[in-house]
Amino acid sequence: MGYGNWDDSAYDAARTFRAARGLDDFGYTADMRSVPWDKWTAHTSLDPKNVGMRESRDSADHGNSLPIAVLFDVTGSMGAVPRIMQEKLGKLHGLLQRKGYADDPQIMFGGIGDADTDRVPLQVGQFESDNRMDEQLRLILLEGGGGGQKSESYELAAYFMARHTATDAWDKRGQKGYLFIVGDELNKDRLASRHIRNVIGDKVSQDVSVESIYRELADRWHVHYILPNQSSYYGDPEIAEHWRGLLGERFLRLDDPAAVCELIALTIGIGEDRIDLGAGLADLRDIGSLDEADAVGKALAPLGAGRRTRSAGALPAGTGDDDVDFGN
Amino acid sequence: MFGDRHLIVVDLGFGDAGKGATVDWLCAPETGLDVSAVVRFNGGAQAAHNVVAGGRHHTFRQFGSGTFSRVPTLLSRHMLVEPIALAAEARALALLGIADPLALMSVDERALLTTPIHGAANRCGEDARGASRHGSCGIGIGETASYALEHDAPRVGDCRRPEVLRRKLIALQEHYRPLLAGSGHRYDSIDDLVDVYTEFARAVAILPGDQLAVFAESGRLVFEGAQGALLDEWRGLHPYTTWSTVEPRHARAMLARIDAPGYVLGITRSYFTRHGAGPFPTEDAELRIPERHNGTGAYQGEFRTGHLDPILLRYAVDACGGIDGLVVNHMDAVGDIRTATGYLTTDGYADRLDCGTWQDLDHQQRLTDLLNDATPVLADLPADVPGYLEAELGVPVALTAHGPDRADRRARSVQLTRPARADHTIAPPTTA
Repeated sequence: MGYGNWDDSAYDAARTFRAARGLDDFGYTADMRSVPWDKWTAHTSLDPKNVGMRESRDSADHGNSLPIAVLFDVTGSMGAVPRIMQEKLGKLHGLLQRKGYADDPQIMFGGIGDADTDRVPLQVGQFESDNRMDEQLRLILLEGGGGGQKSESYELAAYFMARHTATDAWDKRGQKGYLFIVGDELNKDRLASRHIRNVIGDKVSQDVSVESIYRELADRWHVHYILPNQSSYYGDPEIAEHWRGLLGERFLRLDDPAAVCELIALTIGIGEDRIDLGAGLADLRDIGSLDEADAVGKALAPLGAGRRTRSAGALPAGTGDDDVDFGN
Repeated sequence: MFGDRHLIVVDLGFGDAGKGATVDWLCAPETGLDVSAVVRFNGGAQAAHNVVAGGRHHTFRQFGSGTFSRVPTLLSRHMLVEPIALAAEARALALLGIADPLALMSVDERALLTTPIHGAANRCGEDARGASRHGSCGIGIGETASYALEHDAPRVGDCRRPEVLRRKLIALQEHYRPLLAGSGHRYDSIDDLVDVYTEFARAVAILPGDQLAVFAESGRLVFEGAQGALLDEWRGLHPYTTWSTVEPRHARAMLARIDAPGYVLGITRSYFTRHGAGPFPTEDAELRIPERHNGTGAYQGEFRTGHLDPILLRYAVDACGGIDGLVVNHMDAVGDIRTATGYLTTDGYADRLDCGTWQDLDHQQRLTDLLNDATPVLADLPADVPGYLEAELGVPVALTAHGPDRADRRARSVQLTRPARADHTIAPPTTA
């Protein structure tokens, strides 16, 4: 007994609960909230401008590095999904290693926005093998912008990945890395040269077609597009058609955004021929990720049905009508 | 010491007897009782269970008092849950080095939600009572319980359904609008409340239905009561009671549903205290016992102190339907303490109080009237306080405390053989 003072507020309480879910870990985003929007910038360690190359290299400890990049849309149409990504993706490295899906995963995180309307349309970290990955996630600015025109600058991110990454996996072993773009909208109609100049700093004078930059990217990367539920266009056929045209079976719809880490891990495990879908889902159930296993099972059903999972370098062909929509 | 029985910890007085410190000790790894969860079975955020352990002090309100030992807390459906206070408590625990305290918390979805609207209404009600305040804490516990009797009240499970929650909060606000108008007692907007309760539902495990068996599978349960049996809504000294079943019937029923044995541990200090208004026969303003953690509350009034009262303790044991063991706290404070052997009342000498029929508030009111005019007959406190109480109450003393810290508690070296349920034959009525 003895509760006489009452000065706590709902606001402080909500913040406490958010923090308990790890959401206040977006420390950089919280910092930016105290700055006028037109002064917002990417954190220096994530700013793609004039960075040269992001490199994934073998080391004494990690002799068989496998580069993995996860770039997620941080615009408003994604709703709470970027926060869920941040919360869950920190587990990715551990899951890959614990289950032996990749020997020496090196993971890079980044954020994608809209180069027409956003202050910070692209953020890209470094490839890391340790808990510095968490630091990258913490520093990603969740700008929450986007232009409302049903397109974001994914193609600009694709350009960065194609032209500004270098990996020992490819250089020494001819092995492709894994790129996951998590989003819910279309590419811009064209990769605008002014966006490249403004955001990345390359002196490019001509626009590039979206198809050609993804084709170039696919030479060194297995490119996946994950459309999570809870985003604005989860059921929009135009989005699905657009990405299937570019990536074929690597367009993945995910019922439960909380399962993103598991989806990425299993996709890599399957791609690396370490497991098949059934064994991967059993693994997830083993570690108690029952709901996640269901969502991942649905998302990866096309891969599990015995399809070719490793493409040789060109864009996989669009798979047309037999590419059943397992999202719903 | 307790076999494989689950433990029900109940205060036999008016509260503040040391339930928290007892629960902390029961949950400590060094005690070896293998506690898997602390279950709250009554009350709400107005509880204030002080625990001092190894230099840390916390006033546990909704978190179970085993939290220092990282024992999880289950807020049962009998709890009145106040998420805003829960957040504040989580922050306080984090500052004491408890990592991610909210991860230790589970809540039954059926539990009622106490909101700032209830709190404002509560303070309005007490303001209106003027000098005859009930000694409420001003959080809205009573309002939560009373509103829920006749309305579709917000419950913890609603926090996962924002539209349902919003509708219920608007109805609650409308209900209290006439009372609150112009009162000066403000509360957060419905939007802010929906936001905080939505976040609460995401951060804290909300459990469907009875999950007690799951917790019981992994170890011993400790049911941590709030307030004291003399404040029980049906057995307390009406109307100075709380809207809560304080005596252990709910805890016993929960255990009966999972077919598990329980051991009721009654808690008393070596003297009596009361925070708030109401009868207190042995109260003695001359007593000067340092009180570290209880001050004067804006709505509760001052903290009151009195001599040991085995008559009220016997009544409380009866109200509990008997207990299995006793804990005597504050043994280090017995210096000036005396003990009551009976009362001189308007009806003559009395040394027993009749429990009467459950839920007979007229009877409880008669007890209150009797005790308001009672003068205690005081005797010196025997040197062997535990032995004296065992004889007076017919219950073995399991544990004593000789200071505020966990390290100051001792299991009684001479433990009686398996304690029988206390004989709780109701004494011949001595009340009018």
